Amino acid sequence: METLAVALLGFFTAGYFVLAGADIGTGMLLPFLGRTDRERRLVIASFAPFFLGNEVWLIATAGLLAGCFPDFEGVLFTGQFAVLVPLLAGWMVRDAGLWLRGRASGAGRDPDAAAGRGSVPRGGRVWRPACDGAVVCGSWVVALSWGRLLASLFAGTPGTAATGAGAVVAALAVAALFAAHGAGFASVRLTGAPYARARRLTGRTRAWRSFALTGSLMAAVPVLAGLSLPLAASAADGATLALLVPALLVITPFLVAAQGWTWWAFRHRVSGPSYL
Amino acid sequence: MEFQFGLSWSGLTHYAGNVFGASLAVETIVAFFVESTFLGLWIFGWNRFGRWTHLAMIWVVTLTAYLSAYWILVSNGFLNHPVGYRVADGKLVLDDAVAVLTNPAALLAFGHILGGALLTAGFFVAGVSAHHLFRRTPEREFFGRSLRVGVFLSFPALVVTAAFGGVQLTALAELQPMKSAVFRQQAADVARVQADMAARFGPGDYVPSEAWTRGGALVMLIAFGLMMYLALAGVVLACFPRAVHRFRLWHLALMAAVPLPYLAMTGGWVFREAGRQPWVVYGLLRTQDAVSDVSPAAMRASLAVFTTLFAVLAVVNARLLVRYARRGPTDTGLGRDDRAPDGDTPDGDPAGSLPATRY
Repeated sequence: METLAVALLGFFTAGYFVLAGADIGTGMLLPFLGRTDRERRLVIASFAPFFLGNEVWLIATAGLLAGCFPDFEGVLFTGQFAVLVPLLAGWMVRDAGLWLRGRASGAGRDPDAAAGRGSVPRGGRVWRPACDGAVVCGSWVVALSWGRLLASLFAGTPGTAATGAGAVVAALAVAALFAAHGAGFASVRLTGAPYARARRLTGRTRAWRSFALTGSLMAAVPVLAGLSLPLAASAADGATLALLVPALLVITPFLVAAQGWTWWAFRHRVSGPSYL
Repeated sequence: MEFQFGLSWSGLTHYAGNVFGASLAVETIVAFFVESTFLGLWIFGWNRFGRWTHLAMIWVVTLTAYLSAYWILVSNGFLNHPVGYRVADGKLVLDDAVAVLTNPAALLAFGHILGGALLTAGFFVAGVSAHHLFRRTPEREFFGRSLRVGVFLSFPALVVTAAFGGVQLTALAELQPMKSAVFRQQAADVARVQADMAARFGPGDYVPSEAWTRGGALVMLIAFGLMMYLALAGVVLACFPRAVHRFRLWHLALMAAVPLPYLAMTGGWVFREAGRQPWVVYGLLRTQDAVSDVSPAAMRASLAVFTTLFAVLAVVNARLLVRYARRGPTDTGLGRDDRAPDGDTPDGDPAGSLPATRY
């Protein structure tokens, strides 16, 4: 049962890094890929339908830690307090930017604009750049924090936050991997000028090949980091796992199918803006 | 929440994680995961799926929201009234899963929250509809109907909420006598329960803050009283189309009443959670013993960061809710056909290039 619980944890962690890594990486590259407000909205549309379903893999990972490895969750989260607080704050800021960006006064739809108080939407000029800034900064903070967290895991000290040169190098390397993954995702999703810019980053390899390569790395890195952790030893009591793990194993294929449906429904490249 | 328990309350996950963590895990994976996936499909899937498929998606979101509430309250119910456990090596171990899943502190609260959530929705929909009828916006039919939906939902929801609330108050005398005594301001009972608990658990202060406990309960009960008058009058008035469309004083009252269910819900939670202090797991683990071993500076910094972020988000969200509520159903931004080719618009605003919503 412990082994199955570890496998589930690895599956959801890898799923988070591969899927959410793509939209976080694209968010990191937002100012590079989209030079105008309109282009940035297109870049966001490339991951808009997915990011809500992507980030929930991390919630599931945290839930699995709480349910199957409660002791380890406490050690890891308390030890990584200084890393996780910025990570969560960055995540919140980023998501706020994404959800709120398109909610500024739209042309002709804002009551003030409709009343003739200025033809340019009042909030749009400040609002949307501010939201874009939140998305970019939030995405970088999340990616860098993951690098710092992974540095502790690779060093075998999940209970203390990594510091020093090693932590800086790991944070930058992992952030670069997130960005490369985002560039690959952008090059399979976008069209027009943002697409051309994403292609400049992925080089002459086929778009899908670059995305698949960074995707495998994104799955491999957290799983490798997790191999050294004392997970099986700190698993929850047998009575808990005997009920929890089978239930989660039964539901997981349905979750994957529902997510697969999302990816299939929105598989086409984007050429226009979305709700965000 | 899953992060918060590990970050700030690792004493709780360490001591009670075997029982309490499992329901949280089920909530994230069985309810929240499905909810987020289908909410994404629904928000971005307008005009991409058949009408019925698209409608079914929001029903999946609705059902998983109920599931979410159940599992969260199983976790919270265990903290308020631990059942189905035994203690082994200084930690709690799951002994009887059925007892945990049918904990009265979870089931009664589930009924109460379920009714309260529907009540909030009813008052919200009725208040927004009343605003449009008061302003005489063009969608008379639409908002006349939605006002009736809101009002006719509020009344039964209020009855259900009150019934479960009453049963909980009665059960409280047995489950958490201290909360019950502080709420009723029975000084003699408070002293008796304090002496009982000191005898059972050792010396200490077992009396929760009266200001929070009683204050929360009073806010809840006063909001309930006001809502009951409004809901009772509402079901009568809503039977007359003339009143629905023309009774402007009623429209104003419905608009003013939108904050009431929010106050009641928040007051009720404060009553429930402040009133069980000093326990984080009632009778088993004290709140002060559950706090993570983190430096006070770090804890203060995280509290400041998250409080600020949530306060900003709450203000922005409230303002956006008001702004979108004032717009008609076509100008919300949801439901536009974003598959349409992205033509250039004169003002260069991409939002302008989306065709209007149809409903």
